[in-house]
Amino acid sequence: MRKLISTKENTWCTGCGNFGLFAAVRKSIQMLHEAGTPMADIVMSAGIGCHGKIFDYLEISGIYGLHGRALATASGVKLANPQLKVLVFGGDGDSLGEGLEHTLFAAKRNMDITLILHNNGNYGLTTGQASPLSIKGFKGLTTPMGNVERPFTPVTLMMEAGASFVGRSYTARIEHLSQMIFQAVNHPGFSFVEVLQPCVSYNNTYQLYNEHCQIMSEIPESEEKARSLAKSADPIYLGIYHQEEIPVYHQQIQDGGASLTRAQRLALLKS
Amino acid sequence: MSSKIYNVLIGGKAGEGVKKAAQVIADLAVKHGQYIFQTDDYQSLIRGGHNFSLLSISDERTYNTYAKADLIVSFDQRSILRHLEDMAEGALHFCNEGDSEDARVIPLPLSALMKEHYQGPAHISLSAVAIFAALCGISLSALQEIIKAEFRRQVDENIAYAAAIYALIKERYPQGQRSLAANPDLPAKNYTGNQAIALGAYAGGLDYYYGYPMTPASSILHYLAKMRDTHGVYAIHAESELAAINMAIGSAFAGRRSAVGSSGGGFALMQEGFSLAGMVEAPLLCILSSRPGPATGASTYTGQEDLYFALNQGHGEFARIVASPDSFERAFSLAAELLDLAWECQSPAILLTEKQLSESMINLDLPVDDLHPPLSEEAKYTEPYERYALTESGISPLKFPGAGNCAEDDIIKWNSNEHVESGVRTDTAFTIVAMRDKRNRKYESIVKATQKYQRIARYGQGEKLVFAYGSTALELREAQKYLPFRLVVPIYLEPFPFEELSEYQGAEAIVVEHASHPNFARFLKEKLNVKIKTNILRYDGRHFHTEELIQKLKEAFDA
Repeated sequence: MRKLISTKENTWCTGCGNFGLFAAVRKSIQMLHEAGTPMADIVMSAGIGCHGKIFDYLEISGIYGLHGRALATASGVKLANPQLKVLVFGGDGDSLGEGLEHTLFAAKRNMDITLILHNNGNYGLTTGQASPLSIKGFKGLTTPMGNVERPFTPVTLMMEAGASFVGRSYTARIEHLSQMIFQAVNHPGFSFVEVLQPCVSYNNTYQLYNEHCQIMSEIPESEEKARSLAKSADPIYLGIYHQEEIPVYHQQIQDGGASLTRAQRLALLKS
Repeated sequence: MSSKIYNVLIGGKAGEGVKKAAQVIADLAVKHGQYIFQTDDYQSLIRGGHNFSLLSISDERTYNTYAKADLIVSFDQRSILRHLEDMAEGALHFCNEGDSEDARVIPLPLSALMKEHYQGPAHISLSAVAIFAALCGISLSALQEIIKAEFRRQVDENIAYAAAIYALIKERYPQGQRSLAANPDLPAKNYTGNQAIALGAYAGGLDYYYGYPMTPASSILHYLAKMRDTHGVYAIHAESELAAINMAIGSAFAGRRSAVGSSGGGFALMQEGFSLAGMVEAPLLCILSSRPGPATGASTYTGQEDLYFALNQGHGEFARIVASPDSFERAFSLAAELLDLAWECQSPAILLTEKQLSESMINLDLPVDDLHPPLSEEAKYTEPYERYALTESGISPLKFPGAGNCAEDDIIKWNSNEHVESGVRTDTAFTIVAMRDKRNRKYESIVKATQKYQRIARYGQGEKLVFAYGSTALELREAQKYLPFRLVVPIYLEPFPFEELSEYQGAEAIVVEHASHPNFARFLKEKLNVKIKTNILRYDGRHFHTEELIQKLKEAFDA
């Protein structure tokens, strides 16, 4: 197994939740590899934000795409080569602000890719503006008097959009998070992992999460139950909220065959 | 005007099957050995309004329509009034009994016959097909055969109704209006420009087409979607143009040829993704079919306002290829060429066209055997593989992810941030310059790569020199049947084919284009210092009818 950390200087803030997430992702990739997935088959895409820097640090192939568009890019990758395991890293501003449409549609289609949502509750890289997941009252550069909007609840939002695997974990629970990412990537269909990620510079939530996070012992028995648990502020429940096997997008539209040669194409056009 | 050309106009409300009737007439004409050219004038609505289709039928190739029609069938009063002035000498203009008192129009008992032959909803559009068949010496059995193929709902009623109309016309016009001589070696299949583009891209290796419906590009998406099971090509209707272009770049990353298409508004949304293609060096074919803008504009009409928009697509500095097909054959070959070029040069390429070519239809033999073979040079990789290896040509070898495509330890990183050779992000001043220079070296490589293709077209002889691009060239080629002049058409617009066009440096010329700002004339001045004698501009969304264009050209020549 080759090393998964690149030589690129790491510029996340000391204590950033992304370090825990990075460690968990490496562990899950190792598990995937040990379970038989060739390293060449594991690719990623990332948007723009603090989360996206993982693209430079993680030594696997992929596209460092545009802000908000990583899921669309990843969908194109998956369709073109369904054998690939495609991990998408997104921030809350990235995947639920600029690129919300792609997030909802990847779930709606049940595209067989995994979105790992770095939820730090603000825009970190642009120095602390309110994000779609900032709590009401959040004071940031664009909301100096306090955020008046209410945040999305990513778990219920993605369940409603049709994601067939929905989970939540926390960057300081590396074992839990790595197991969840491993399961999410192996899940056939669209998998969504909300990762609670403290931002030490602009939204330090370590104490809140350390005190209130609680791991669920099992998948909630009904969607109603899952919804109510997802919205609970105390405790904050971690675990898989929803998992079902439904038809995967690319399997419904294509046969996975090789691209036809020029000669085959011209022959078809002449027939 | 040429007596050889028989012009047909069908008009009515949206939903009455105007376009369908014209298409079936076109099919019948082709089956009887004639060349056809069809253009549809319609509006952005589903029911009502006024739609009409123009069809030129001829013993020789026709590139455009005519203002005056020999046969007009109007399904409603608006069509009658609108097209009274479009009657050629000796024209027959038919309508439904009771729709008009005008002596120039010939009433037929269409409603009465529909009532007699249909239990449920009737196909008024069939009457135009039957009238045409009866006037042009087409047999009743040929008419019935095409109805069976094209009007399958209530087929027995359709056949009975059409036969009644056919008999009526035969009785009133036993001599007919026109006989269709069978021409040998006639292309037997009809294609729209968009179909030719779609098939050309397919021939060029297209596997994934991503789009979002926008007239006049939508029919590429529709046409390719239908080809999935027979041709193994996938047309995906994405959630937006933003999604479409990012998906297409993702598919290119994974090693499959992809394309996107839209009109100006959708292309505006794709600009950011177009820049992404420039930065990550993604091979990407983009089809831009123009209509009058700005914004929603005149959504179902034609225009050439987007020349500079295409040339300057995206933000930032990077090379791209822009070319515009001047014929239906070229729509096919250019789409294949541009896809090959995009992959050879790892750059985005734009096929710029407009509604007039996209949605008009002719009978055509696709120039399948004339395509250049794809480039088959062996890539020279560095060890370890580096996506953005600094090369002389500016083009770094491509590898694709996935077991079987690359080695287990190959790292293939495409990066929208400025990057080092491995694809990892950088902000280092020195590397920013090195990478920009590498990408800039692609300008020269692109110039060289395009030189193996036909980059300009010349048509006709004469003292006067006329420049045009895109489908405007078709309008001018039809006008050349009546007026001698030299027509010069740059097919490639970026990189500009200086070598082929050097003889026109400083020449005096007339420029014809469908825009209110003389964009193309400005472009020619910039590139060749062409002295513009006259600009013939049309920007009402309509194409030039042949008679109108001849008149404008004569005025310009005499000025």
